[in-house]
Amino acid sequence: MSVLLEKHIVELLLERDDKAMSLLYEHYGDTLLGVAFKVVRNEALAEDVLQESFLKIWRNSDSYDPSKAKLFTWLFRITRNTAIDKLRSVNTKSDKEIQIDVSDVYRLGTEGINPELMDIQDNLEKIEEKYQIVLDALFFQGMTQQEASDELNIPLGTIKSRLKIGLRELKKIYGSVLLFASLLNFW
Amino acid sequence: MNEKIKNFLNSDLLEQYLLGTTSNEETLQVERYIAMYPEVRETYIELQENLEVYAKLHAIKTPDGLKDKILNQIKSEKTGRKKFFRYAIAASFAALIFAGASYIFWNQNQNLQAENIIVNNKIESLEENMRMQLEDVRNQFIVLHNPKTKKLTVKGNSKAKELKAVAYINPVKKLSYINVSKLPNLPENQCYQMWAEVNGEMINLGIIKEATDSEKLMALPYGEDAVGYITIEAEGGTTSPTVENIVANIRY
Repeated sequence: MSVLLEKHIVELLLERDDKAMSLLYEHYGDTLLGVAFKVVRNEALAEDVLQESFLKIWRNSDSYDPSKAKLFTWLFRITRNTAIDKLRSVNTKSDKEIQIDVSDVYRLGTEGINPELMDIQDNLEKIEEKYQIVLDALFFQGMTQQEASDELNIPLGTIKSRLKIGLRELKKIYGSVLLFASLLNFW
Repeated sequence: MNEKIKNFLNSDLLEQYLLGTTSNEETLQVERYIAMYPEVRETYIELQENLEVYAKLHAIKTPDGLKDKILNQIKSEKTGRKKFFRYAIAASFAALIFAGASYIFWNQNQNLQAENIIVNNKIESLEENMRMQLEDVRNQFIVLHNPKTKKLTVKGNSKAKELKAVAYINPVKKLSYINVSKLPNLPENQCYQMWAEVNGEMINLGIIKEATDSEKLMALPYGEDAVGYITIEAEGGTTSPTVENIVANIRY
């Protein structure tokens, strides 16, 4: 996401121009749907979460403070929280209904994902699973390192080192993406 | 690196803040650290970038139609809000008109209340007046019909030979009245004035107007050996009688 586009969207958002929502959907819709899915583990629910999140984003657009968080961080928080609430409300309704539809996990290929994301997604495979697990715990499950250690039954020291490596691998990925993007711009 | 910062960065608080799961107190603490220490600020920025990239790795293609569904819902909410504002403006006008009308009615009510007080006062003074007149008439009746009442005929002296008056004195009831039935005509700048000397004190009883007073009994203050006087005075009367202008005296 270019800084300029992000600025433009934020301006529209603060002016309460609904064009902002269209731009947000185009640039963050897929990613936020992925975030919602990571929490609720069900495609239909994740789509509901995305819809509710966008409404919340629209309603609370004046509460976004660019000096405190990047636009994506703010969007992520809203979506993740909405997803957690959704999961809770569905869980209280019936435990059976929301049993994870395992097939969903496998149906999700890279087909149809926008090319920019596809490039990055290919890179997910470059991160070893053991690092991904720790990154998931940190970014999606919102666990502290201690909690991750308890939950995953991995010593705290190992969690810390895996997180460090995982983040380094991640940096490599977006480092190359950024390089690639700047090359594209240059040409 | 400062030990404090190291501890902070090791504490997971920044990560919790990133995800928006910190308590209000923790949020303030984290924001203070971000503002104060460049190392913390850099780590936070880096975490945000990591988060965005990592989230993008998990992106899922949104289904067709979801975008329109969401945007339509937002649009309808926006027009709903517009409608709300329209209603709000209409309601504000209504409230304003109501307030204006209330003020006018309140004002009118205040005026009516003030008028009401005036009217009530008038009625009270009229009642008082009537009561006094009635009392006067009752006294006159008592005096005129009481067998103990002495009737004194008063005649004018050389200055007013035509003057005729009748005084009624009742020592039992201690009431006295006088009826001036005829007064000689006076030049326009003069008038007759009635006085009474009771216990050595001269009391002004006012100007006598022949036309209206000929059938009227004037009350005289009662006293043992009182004297009534009628004098000729300059128009408008005076505060003390002019002795040489006495035209009649009534001893009673």
